[in-house]
Amino acid sequence: MTGKERILAKLRGEPTDSLPLMPITMMFAADLAGVPYGDYARDHRVLADAQVAVAGRFGFDYVSAISDPAREASDLGATVEWFDNQPPAIVESRALLDDKGKLAGLRLPDLSAPGRMRDRVEAVRLLAERAGATHIVEGWVEGPCAMSADLRGLNTLMLDFFDDPPFVEALFDFTVRMEVEFARAQVEAGATLIGVGDAAASLVGPKIYTQHVLPWEQRLIAAIRAMGVPVRLHICGNTKRIVEGMGQTGADIIDLDYPTPLGHARHAMRETQVLLGNIDPVRDLRDGTPESVEAALGECYRQAGAAYICGAGCEVPRGTPHANVEAMARFARGRR
Amino acid sequence: MPDLEKLHEAVIEGDWKAAAAATHAAIAAGVPPLTIVTDYLVRAMDEVGRRFECEEYFVPEMLLSARAMKASMEIVRPLLAASGAEPVGRVVIGTVKGDLHDIGKNLVASMLEGGGFEVIDLGADVAPERFIEAVTARHANLVALSALLTVTMGSMKTTIDALQAAGLREKVKIMVGGAPVTQQYADAIGADGFSDSAGNAVALARKLVAA
Repeated sequence: MTGKERILAKLRGEPTDSLPLMPITMMFAADLAGVPYGDYARDHRVLADAQVAVAGRFGFDYVSAISDPAREASDLGATVEWFDNQPPAIVESRALLDDKGKLAGLRLPDLSAPGRMRDRVEAVRLLAERAGATHIVEGWVEGPCAMSADLRGLNTLMLDFFDDPPFVEALFDFTVRMEVEFARAQVEAGATLIGVGDAAASLVGPKIYTQHVLPWEQRLIAAIRAMGVPVRLHICGNTKRIVEGMGQTGADIIDLDYPTPLGHARHAMRETQVLLGNIDPVRDLRDGTPESVEAALGECYRQAGAAYICGAGCEVPRGTPHANVEAMARFARGRR
Repeated sequence: MPDLEKLHEAVIEGDWKAAAAATHAAIAAGVPPLTIVTDYLVRAMDEVGRRFECEEYFVPEMLLSARAMKASMEIVRPLLAASGAEPVGRVVIGTVKGDLHDIGKNLVASMLEGGGFEVIDLGADVAPERFIEAVTARHANLVALSALLTVTMGSMKTTIDALQAAGLREKVKIMVGGAPVTQQYADAIGADGFSDSAGNAVALARKLVAA
């Protein structure tokens, strides 16, 4: 099976020749290619080269256009700080929507114009040309909670949930409309799966998640799935208390960070829900040994059951020994 | 005598207006400012921390309570200073250079303030020199460093080394925290303590300044 066939078969609940392998690599991929991360995030050609190389080197079943959470915010005019060799970051102290009144004047970015969103679409196009026949090509968008935090400021958004729920609804509505169009452009460019990253959602409890976040994640995911591609939902952090809701988002793949045991997620979701993850990226993967990586993955697989895709809880960290990533690949290839 | 349990309750419920009103009423009734802090605000924030640890409260609820606590502290702080009352400790806190993530640092800062510490919050992306300046100018006895990214953790060591080079290392205790930080890393860079949560950070800070 090709990587693409393997992942799609797993998502259909059909037998596979081995476990699909979909760890997130960004800085690790840039380092492997010998390019500064600032270039990786700025230039789709650099990103595509590095992704094709890392997937080839370790036998990943997919390539991805994920790079940083600041693409949409950049194009909307947010203040972003750039670094030579790490991901750009949104400057929260100068949040674009520090004044709530500015939301009414915000317009959806023009995806045909040059910009950071357009650069991701071009990354997807290149990846599809170069690896799409054999690999899943993953596009990426921010989830409603993360994107709203990017625009409003994370600390402020957390208080908005109590202070001004109608504003939160309006903000989530804007972000979801934008991300649907961003996903559509990536699908049209050749993405065969869309990842949704909604890290900020792990900071809220089940009440706020169910009331304010889940309905918008459902709306976004349903719109993307209607384009004919599966969706991977990734929420960094501790999601133990919201994982039941995550199982109701409609995402084809629930990608969990290490604080949430896969057994906990499996208990909260249907048997056929595909789970992805989730060894501790720092303690197990970067600081571990090939033996400890395989042991940790074995435990993930045991807890997840058959509907499982191999990966780490979050990005494979910079500085992870190649032998540990090879151990991850060996684990996946050695199991059905 | 004003009903100070209302202040306690307002902080736990995150009602900053009620917290400010209860504080004004207490001051007007002659309640000593230090009593307001130690008997009510510290106790309330301890309870908030407990609820966070057992996942009854999450980040939004914590920030709401912190805002209510701060509304009360704004009123009490000048009176405390005038009375010459000493805080539990003086802590300089910040997210290290190159890292713009501040929500974890903000939670810890609020919990420390609610725990009776004087908190000098330098914000995010803080260069080592700014920690040195603040420790010197404010006579701090504790430094708290935060990082969320594996790539910025190295700035914690740079900061500790800079404090050493400035001759301040023996005058302060240093605690570190953040998602990728481990006890092993804290030991390796010469920190005095590591905490994996905002609630535990207060207990650690108290232990470090008492040592």
